[in-house]
Amino acid sequence: MIESLVGGFEAAFTFTNLLFICCGIVLGIIFGVLPGLGSVTALAIMVPITFYMSPVAAIAFLVGINKGGTSGGAIPAILINAPGTPEAAATARDGYPLARQGKPEKAMKMALYSSVFGDFFSDVMLILLAAPFAAIALKFGPPEFTAIILFSFTLIAALAGKSLVKGIIAAALGVFLSTIGLDPVDSTSRMTFNKVELFDGISLNALAIGTLALSSVISQIFDTRRGGDPAAAIVGGDYAEDNKLRPREYWSNWPTLLRSACIGTGVGMLPGLGVSLAAFLGYGAARRASKTPEKFGTGALEGIAATEASNSAVVGANLIPTISLGIPGNVAAALLIGAFMIHGVVPGPLMMVEHGELVYSIFACMLMANLLHLTIGRVGIRIWGLFVRVPKNIILPVVILLCIVGVYIPTNSLFDVGLMFAFGGLGYLMRKSGFSIVCLVIGFLLGPMFEMSLRQTMLMHKTDLSILVTSPISLVFLLLTVYFLWRFGFRTKRH
Amino acid sequence: MLSKTGFGFSTRSALLGALGALAMVAATSLPAAAEYPAKPVTLVVPYKAGGSTETMAQLFSKALGRELGQKVVVRTRPGAGGAVGSTYVSKAPADGYTIMFVALAGLTWDPLTKKGLEFDLNSFRYIAGVTEYQMAFITTPDKPYGNLAELIAYSGKGNSLNVADQGGISKAFINYIAKKEGIDWTAIPTRGGGEMVPFLLGGKVDFAYSGGVHGKYGDKMLVLASCLGGRLAASPEVPSIKELYGIAMPGNAVIVAPKGVSDEVAAKLEGAIQRAMNDPDFTKILGKLKFPKKFVDGNGMKTVFNEVVASLKKVVAATRN
Repeated sequence: MIESLVGGFEAAFTFTNLLFICCGIVLGIIFGVLPGLGSVTALAIMVPITFYMSPVAAIAFLVGINKGGTSGGAIPAILINAPGTPEAAATARDGYPLARQGKPEKAMKMALYSSVFGDFFSDVMLILLAAPFAAIALKFGPPEFTAIILFSFTLIAALAGKSLVKGIIAAALGVFLSTIGLDPVDSTSRMTFNKVELFDGISLNALAIGTLALSSVISQIFDTRRGGDPAAAIVGGDYAEDNKLRPREYWSNWPTLLRSACIGTGVGMLPGLGVSLAAFLGYGAARRASKTPEKFGTGALEGIAATEASNSAVVGANLIPTISLGIPGNVAAALLIGAFMIHGVVPGPLMMVEHGELVYSIFACMLMANLLHLTIGRVGIRIWGLFVRVPKNIILPVVILLCIVGVYIPTNSLFDVGLMFAFGGLGYLMRKSGFSIVCLVIGFLLGPMFEMSLRQTMLMHKTDLSILVTSPISLVFLLLTVYFLWRFGFRTKRH
Repeated sequence: MLSKTGFGFSTRSALLGALGALAMVAATSLPAAAEYPAKPVTLVVPYKAGGSTETMAQLFSKALGRELGQKVVVRTRPGAGGAVGSTYVSKAPADGYTIMFVALAGLTWDPLTKKGLEFDLNSFRYIAGVTEYQMAFITTPDKPYGNLAELIAYSGKGNSLNVADQGGISKAFINYIAKKEGIDWTAIPTRGGGEMVPFLLGGKVDFAYSGGVHGKYGDKMLVLASCLGGRLAASPEVPSIKELYGIAMPGNAVIVAPKGVSDEVAAKLEGAIQRAMNDPDFTKILGKLKFPKKFVDGNGMKTVFNEVVASLKKVVAATRN
C-alpha cells in the first residue's frame, strides 16, 4: 500500500495539479463564506467544467473545493454570527462570543486548525480502510438508521441552551416543518397547498440561512438602531492582547479533536447522514464529555474544535462508501461520483482493481490538499480579520444581499428567497424569546430521516418493530439513547 | 403582477412609455420570427446541477449552440422530480427561446397522478428524443432466481418479497405486476440509486428497481427485466416488461418546447439537435455515462408518447385503490 501511495504521489505531484488544488481550495473557501452557498453548490457548478481537465486534476480540483468549503463556512459564523452553512451553526455558538471578546483571529485559527486536523484524520482512515469498511457499511439498514437517528435526537438536550423545554418545542417545530411536502412512501401531498414549489418540502437552504444567518443580521440591525453606533465595527476597539493561539492551547483540546474526528469519520462512512449532523453530534458529545459544560456558548475553544473537526472529517470518510461501493455518502460525494463518471471511471467495487493508480493519485492529492489548505487558510485569516474592522452599517446590508444570492443560485427559485425572509422573521422572534434556532434546524434535519427509516423498517418487517432490539447495532444505539436521556434527566433534576 | 400599472405617472408619459415599449417589442420580435434564433436560447434542466442529466445537457448545449449559430444557455430549475422546471417551461413564451432537456417519465407520469400541477399532457411539443435512461428490475447473482420468470415462480411459492422502489412510477409498476401475478411483493421506498444499492448489496431487499445505476456494478448485479419498451442496450438477452406484460416505462430523455411553438422553429431545432448529436464531446460523455445514443425525431416522439401514455393509464387504472 505504501508503494502504491508513493506511486500516487509521483503521479499527482505536478504543477498543474497543485495549481488546481489551490484554485479549488480558494474557490471552496469563498463559496463557504457566502451564506447559502457551500461546497455542494460550488461542486455542482464546477462538475461539468472538469470534463475538459485530466482525471487526476479534475478530482484534485473538486476535492480542494470540498475541503475549502467546509472550513469557509466557519468564517462568517465567527465574525458576524451568520454561519455560511448549516454545518457551521454550532461554530457560531462559541466562535462569535470569542470574536466579540476581541479574539476573532484566535477563533478563526482554532477553526482552521481543527478543520485540517479532522480532514487529515479522515483521509488517513480513508486510505487505510477504503476496502474493509465497505462490508460494515452494508450491515446498516433501515432499523439501524432508525436507532441512530433516534439517538441523535438526544442532541437537543446538549444544544437547547438554557431551557430544555424551549429546545424541545423548537425541535418539534422543526420536525413539523419538515413534514411539509410529498409523503415519501405514498407520494401524497402534505400541507403543500397544491404549490408545486412545496412538493419537495421546504428547502433546507432557505430555512437554515433564514433562521441562522439572516435573523442574526436583522437582530444586529435592530440592536444598532436602539442606540448602538451604526458606524462601529463588529469588534469595537482594539484587539485583545490574547489574540494568538498558542500550540499548547490548541493541543490541550486533543481529546475533543480526536473524538470529533472519529464522529465525523463514522458519520461520513454511513451513507445519508450528512455533514450537518456530524457537526451537531461532535459539538453535543464534546459538551457532554466536558468538565466545564457551562463554558460552552461563551467562547470555548473546545466548542469550535469539536464542531470544525467533525464536519471536516466527513469529507474524506465520505469517499469510503463512494470508492468501495459506488454509494455516495452525501450530496457532495454524489457530485464527485458524477465527476468520476465524466472521466470514464466508475466508482464502485471494481474501481480499485481497474483504476488503482488513479485512486492512489487521488489519495495523494487529498493529503497534499490538506497542507495547502492549512497554508491558504492561514494567509486568508489575515484578510478575513480585516472585515471585522468594517463598520456594521456597511457589512450588514451586504450580508443580506449575499443571503439572497446564496439562496437563489442553487435552485434559481425566488420562492426559496421568499421562504428565507419568512424564516428570517421567525428566527428573529426565536432569538428574542430564547428558543434555540439550532434545535429547530436539527429537528428539521432529523425529522425526514427518522420518518423514512422508520417507515422503511415497518414495510420491510411487516410492521414488526422487534427488529429494533434484535439487531445488535440498533440495540446499542437504543441503549445509548436511554442512557443519555436518563443521565441528562438525572443531572438536571439534581441541579 | 405584470398587470400592475404605474399609478405615479401622468397619462401622457404612460402613453409614451407604452408606445415605446410596443416599438421595442416590434423591433426585437419581428426579425426573431423571420430568422430564428436571433438571441441566445435557454435550455432548462429541471433537475439539480451536477447530476448526469445536467452534465449531458451542458455538453449538448455547446454542440447545439454551434448548430443553431447562437449561444444555448443551460439553466437548472430543480424541484418535485422535475415538476417545478416543467411548470416554468410550460408557461414560457412558445417562441423557441425556452426549451427543456427532461425525462419523458416526469412529463407523462406526473400529470396522470399528481394533483395541483399546472401543466398537463398537452402542454409541450416534443422536438426530439436524445437518449434513453436504462431502467430495469435488478437483483444480485446470489439469489435463487436469475430471471423474471423464476422470480415470479419463487414468489408464487408463498415467499413474500421486498422490492426497493424509487417513488411513484416504479412503485406503481411493481404493484401492477404483483397484482397481475397474484403474488406478495412489498415496495420499499428509497431515495434513489444511492440508497437502493446498499439495500440490495446488503441483502435488505430481494430485488430492486434501478434507474440505470446497475450498469456500474458489472456482474455484481443481474438484470431481471428491462422496464422500457425495448431491451436494454447492455443486456440484449434479457426481455422487457413490454414483452411480458404489455406495459413500459417512459425512458427517453427528450427536448421539448412549450406547446404552440411554430412548425418552422420546431423543424429548425429538430435538425440542429440531430446534427448536434454527432458532436465528439457529447458522444464521449454518453459513452462514459453509459447512456445509449438514441435520436427520435418529432414524429417518432408522437408515437412513443401515445404508447407510453396508454401504458401508464393502464397501470394507474389497475393500481388505484
